[in-house]
Amino acid sequence: MSASLAPECNGVKERYDSCFLKWYSEKFLRGNATTDECEPLFKQYKQCLGKALKSRGIDTMLEEAREDNRENDAQHLRGGCESLVHPAIPRESCVRILTII
Amino acid sequence: MVKFYSSTYDYSYPFPAVTLAYFLRYPNPYSTHVLSTDTISRSFDPATQRLTTVRLHLKRSKLPSAVLKLLPRSLLGASAAGDSQSYILETSTVDVKEGVMHAESRNLEWTGVLSVVEKQTFRRPASPPDDQAFKSCEGAAEKHGFLEKGEAAGRTDVQSTVILLSRLGQWKKRRAAAGIHSEQDAAAAGKAVVEEEAEQPQKVGFFKSWSTASLQRSIELIGLKRARRSQPNAMEGMKVVLERMREGGLVGVLEGMRRDREMVTHGHHGAGFKKVENESGQAIEDLGDHHED
Repeated sequence: MSASLAPECNGVKERYDSCFLKWYSEKFLRGNATTDECEPLFKQYKQCLGKALKSRGIDTMLEEAREDNRENDAQHLRGGCESLVHPAIPRESCVRILTII
Repeated sequence: MVKFYSSTYDYSYPFPAVTLAYFLRYPNPYSTHVLSTDTISRSFDPATQRLTTVRLHLKRSKLPSAVLKLLPRSLLGASAAGDSQSYILETSTVDVKEGVMHAESRNLEWTGVLSVVEKQTFRRPASPPDDQAFKSCEGAAEKHGFLEKGEAAGRTDVQSTVILLSRLGQWKKRRAAAGIHSEQDAAAAGKAVVEEEAEQPQKVGFFKSWSTASLQRSIELIGLKRARRSQPNAMEGMKVVLERMREGGLVGVLEGMRRDREMVTHGHHGAGFKKVENESGQAIEDLGDHHED
């Protein structure tokens, strides 16, 4: 299993990952899943990880990334229209073209 | 400006196996630069049978020497050799009914210098015989973990797009728009202060001879080269995981991962590791000046 960025969470992460892989392969992929059975373990893992993310300032970084994504994507599309499609094509059609790509 | 790099390819494994391999792709012998992978959120919608996952990867990276030349060392926060660590945010949605997985990865830091967004779509081929393959695979899964060679083995189509955007020198505008006023706020916003410095040419002699646009273009081009070069390794890594799955099922993959993880944890000293590093680490991490294409 992959390591956690917080070594103190490795144990709980491993328990969650094992649960998830079993659920994913035996239930989800077969279309038989009704609930996420590993949620209780995920909560424990998240609790441990949350502290680590906070102490490393990653929680702030994640929030900003979420805010930034919208702006970022809009910029990508603007630039994309000019370079990929044609400056004369209206923005809406351009966005539609780019979402297909 | 913005740069795109698109490619399509396929894995000769059925869709369910490829989605599982995606979640299990780190560590693999081609990803010794990936230090950790954490799931930060996951939600399953029983109505649509869709699973959305957000993960955070920590990667050791070496800045391309071409970027080191463009940017003064003082801005980089990296060691003299350009060694650095970076967080990558990965969001994915698996729609098992439709047979589609969308995945997107982006860097969390240095987005002002270069933002790299990689979007991938994994798709079960639409033709009816593949539905058949999917069903037989499902049966085989009980016996062999997931996969079976021969006619039951399906195919998964992949479409991958990397979008690169440098906003170097545009920070002031964004900073004002984001309502960040004090240096403390900016410092809290990660590398903001550093990025702002980057737009002040009087402080940074390097930029005098460059227009902002040409500097951005250069950085995007370097990123593009890097994306092109790392893609074969990402594919090989997935193939190793898929092969392990075929040979030994889930247990086989986990056993392989355990070995790969030991290599990452115990550094670069083992003989076996060195070999891998020479074969693949070069392409992953040597992002220097030579062209491959």
